[in-house]
Amino acid sequence: MNVPQGQFPDESPDPGRWLDDHGDYLFKYAVFRLRDNTAAEDAVQETFLAALKAYKEFQGRASERTWLVGILKHKIVDHFRRAGREAPLGEESDEGPEHREFFERPEPWQGHWNNDYAPNEWHATPAELIERSDFWKVFNDCLSPLPQRTASAFTLREVDGLKSEEICEILSIKVNNLWVMLHRARLHLRNCLELNWFRREQ
Amino acid sequence: MKVYDKLKHSIRYWLLRTLPTCQQTVEKISQSMERSLTLRERINLKLHLWICAWCQWYMEHLHIIRETTRAKADEPPEFISGAGLSDEARERIRRRLTNQN
Repeated sequence: MNVPQGQFPDESPDPGRWLDDHGDYLFKYAVFRLRDNTAAEDAVQETFLAALKAYKEFQGRASERTWLVGILKHKIVDHFRRAGREAPLGEESDEGPEHREFFERPEPWQGHWNNDYAPNEWHATPAELIERSDFWKVFNDCLSPLPQRTASAFTLREVDGLKSEEICEILSIKVNNLWVMLHRARLHLRNCLELNWFRREQ
Repeated sequence: MKVYDKLKHSIRYWLLRTLPTCQQTVEKISQSMERSLTLRERINLKLHLWICAWCQWYMEHLHIIRETTRAKADEPPEFISGAGLSDEARERIRRRLTNQN
């Protein structure tokens, strides 16, 4: 049997050490997706409680952190499910800003990019962006003005790579709503990244 | 050559007036990342991108963003300035775990 170094299958669980070793990481992972400190703290606590119960099944099969993150993902989804049931999507404004001003132009060009908001060339490749340590900070700051559910839907889609149908089921929304939310998040985020980042550097 | 340029200009102008606007096109670009577009939508999008550098960049940027976020998905999100669990939350969780043990 393959036992990862330093982990013994019959070792008794030590939740105090889990908290010290992984508490901050799990919290950041959760708060990034839930965008709510209290909900993230609850998710971390529930994760450790579930981990205690499921410890026998774990038995050093994966790294401890990967195992805990796996449980946390379920707790995050549970939170969204509850929130989706309690507060169904109402007004259209819940989906996020439309940013009509991006396309305000005198006729006959109404509906085409306004010069002030039109995209510029970024001169950046994903490989360069991946190297940047402040990427998540800028990303997160740019998402924060959006409605919580839109920001969460966008994160589930673009960061975690969940399928449209899965996100709709988790958030209790229709696929058309999801597409509007994702579109508005992209419109907003792209512009914000460009303003705060690419234009600043020139 | 001049005739050619003039013709090219007229075609571009005509296309821009005929095709869906940039505002409509960026919504299709976003949807193209969620579902397969219909043939008609694909043709309109291709033609629009052919004459509009702004929408070309827009689409390129969305894909750059997606590629970057997916690649970094498991990286610890260290952005939340020094903030892990608050001391209070940590103690609360610790007490709860000890009671459970």
